[in-house]
Amino acid sequence: MRFFSFHLMPYPELPDDYDGPAWITIPNKLFDPAVGTQVYNRYIDELIYAEELGFDGVCVNEHHQNAYGIMPSPNLIASILARQTSRVRIAVVGNALPLYDPPTRVAEEFAMIDNISGGRLIAGLVVGGGPEYYSFSINPAHARERFAEAHDIVLKAWTEPGPFEYIGKHYKLRYVNSWPRPVQQPHPEVWIPGAGSVETVEFVAKHRYAYMGIPYFHISVFERMFKMFREACQKEGYEADPQQMGWLVPIFVAETDEEARAQYEEHFWYFVKRLLPGITISPPGYTSLRSYENMMKGMGSFMASLDSWEQVVDGQYAIVGSPETVTQRLTENLERLGAGNLLGLFQLGTLPADLTKRNLELFSSEVMPKLRAQFPDVAAAS
Amino acid sequence: MSGVVFLTKDESVQTDVGAVKLSRGGGGRPVLWLHSAMGEAADALTADLVADFTVAAPYFPGFSGSEGIEQIEDMEDAVYHLLDLMDRLQMERPIVAGLSLGGWMAAELAVRYPDSVSGLVIANPAGLYIEGHPIGEIFGRSTSEIADEIFADTEQPLYQAMKGIGGSIEKSLSSGELPFDVVRPHLESQAAVAKLAWNPYLHNPRLRRRLNRVKVPTVVLSGTKDGLIPPAHPEAFAAEIPGARLERVEAGHMLVLERPDVIAAAVRSIS
Repeated sequence: MRFFSFHLMPYPELPDDYDGPAWITIPNKLFDPAVGTQVYNRYIDELIYAEELGFDGVCVNEHHQNAYGIMPSPNLIASILARQTSRVRIAVVGNALPLYDPPTRVAEEFAMIDNISGGRLIAGLVVGGGPEYYSFSINPAHARERFAEAHDIVLKAWTEPGPFEYIGKHYKLRYVNSWPRPVQQPHPEVWIPGAGSVETVEFVAKHRYAYMGIPYFHISVFERMFKMFREACQKEGYEADPQQMGWLVPIFVAETDEEARAQYEEHFWYFVKRLLPGITISPPGYTSLRSYENMMKGMGSFMASLDSWEQVVDGQYAIVGSPETVTQRLTENLERLGAGNLLGLFQLGTLPADLTKRNLELFSSEVMPKLRAQFPDVAAAS
Repeated sequence: MSGVVFLTKDESVQTDVGAVKLSRGGGGRPVLWLHSAMGEAADALTADLVADFTVAAPYFPGFSGSEGIEQIEDMEDAVYHLLDLMDRLQMERPIVAGLSLGGWMAAELAVRYPDSVSGLVIANPAGLYIEGHPIGEIFGRSTSEIADEIFADTEQPLYQAMKGIGGSIEKSLSSGELPFDVVRPHLESQAAVAKLAWNPYLHNPRLRRRLNRVKVPTVVLSGTKDGLIPPAHPEAFAAEIPGARLERVEAGHMLVLERPDVIAAAVRSIS
């Protein structure tokens, strides 16, 4: 098992009287730069601290024009982490390829991070969220085609001798010749997040990348996703390695179950009720109708539809409790899912610095060692 | 054509991009009707026009089962599709009439191939960007809000159906109150519109300076209660197209549903 500390970098101080979406149209006068200065630095500290506590890696991701995650450029944060850490893997999950034009920019910046960190980058490649196609005025009807072409360009830029020409439908690049080249050969480990669309699962299986289950769903949704992924790998003629699967989940540990819920719940609901609204916006043509239909069917099990703590616990939307409870729940679920990467969100919503720190400490001292013992196979391989 | 007055629906004709669905009939001078981004049927209008014209009302690829949207990337492709369709239907120099997106397409056809048409009727057209008069957002909004912008006549069945969906389509779908198959055609057609009009949003920055290339009699219809495309847009078309006549109608955006008689009269005024 590999353990990652994932940070969304949420905006924690939306005014109480704002009840609109957290995406696209949320007025940016609500962003207070004084808060920004404070939380960016605090969140970076929290990521760096994960290395000291023995995590295997840290994760950052990209979102634009929203309060859910104020990290429009995860590469900026990752480049800081490349300098401020020395051991952990740095997973950028990921760069939204269709938003980079030309996408060789991603090949270059990722290679820079891989060089600066001495080969510790994990390269996440994503289509970008539905809201981003509004925020960037990029045509959503071209999202999948642009992603596929940009993916080919980035991977070729890393693995084929340059300069070469790439003439696609959306990108026509006469001289692709990435300086620098990545340290990791033939290329950094590639992660692709997905929410269960068949197309994405098959794509990841075909390329032997790792599939990161997008969070905030009932545990049964993850179970279906990973089953689908294993079957897709079998169709490609191989068995999925647990390291090819990652489960992203909010985690909070305190001394006792009661204390954990009492300390955590309000911060969790801020995330669910204030930061998620708007995240599922799906612009026209963004997904195949088959995937969209599945997504709509699954919305009942999406976190934003929750109203009670009992539902949170039953569906394993967040793993919250004493070290014993958290260890037990994570063990059960990791066995059930067969995933070899645990991507924990240890800060969520308005969870303050002191509770986040304590959470990371208790997890790493009381939970992680037991899980490492429980799932030794993958740890040995990594 | 036979000259017999008839109208068949759900016919299909093979084109370069695939089979396209259409209503057609009538006899005499050809009229091509192009629907809006709503993909509405124009039954009242076509039933009226078949008395005097050979009428074809095709569904654009992506709408109502017409194939080929994957081969159409932009307005230029759309224009070539229309030329192809006119050939296939043996419509020589038709009067081309259209609403909103359809009006925009008619104008794009006429500026590029001025000799391919014999007249234009452009109703509440998209196609221009006019500072201070933005076209409303059609993507990602609740159908109820859009209904209020595109209809002045709240007795229209489509208005009431759209109000009936209530909040967002997404919410209605995920709660199961709306079956997916009911919404599928709408989602498909929205994706088709996105290909033509996501960015630049519902306009072509080069269109305005080309409008003086239109050589044929043109009527521009402006619904004065249009809440989606402000009247400044039809007014600009009328000002830029040489000899165009602007006719104001006290109606909303969906002129083909609210006042098909006005569109039919405009077509007749050309012939």
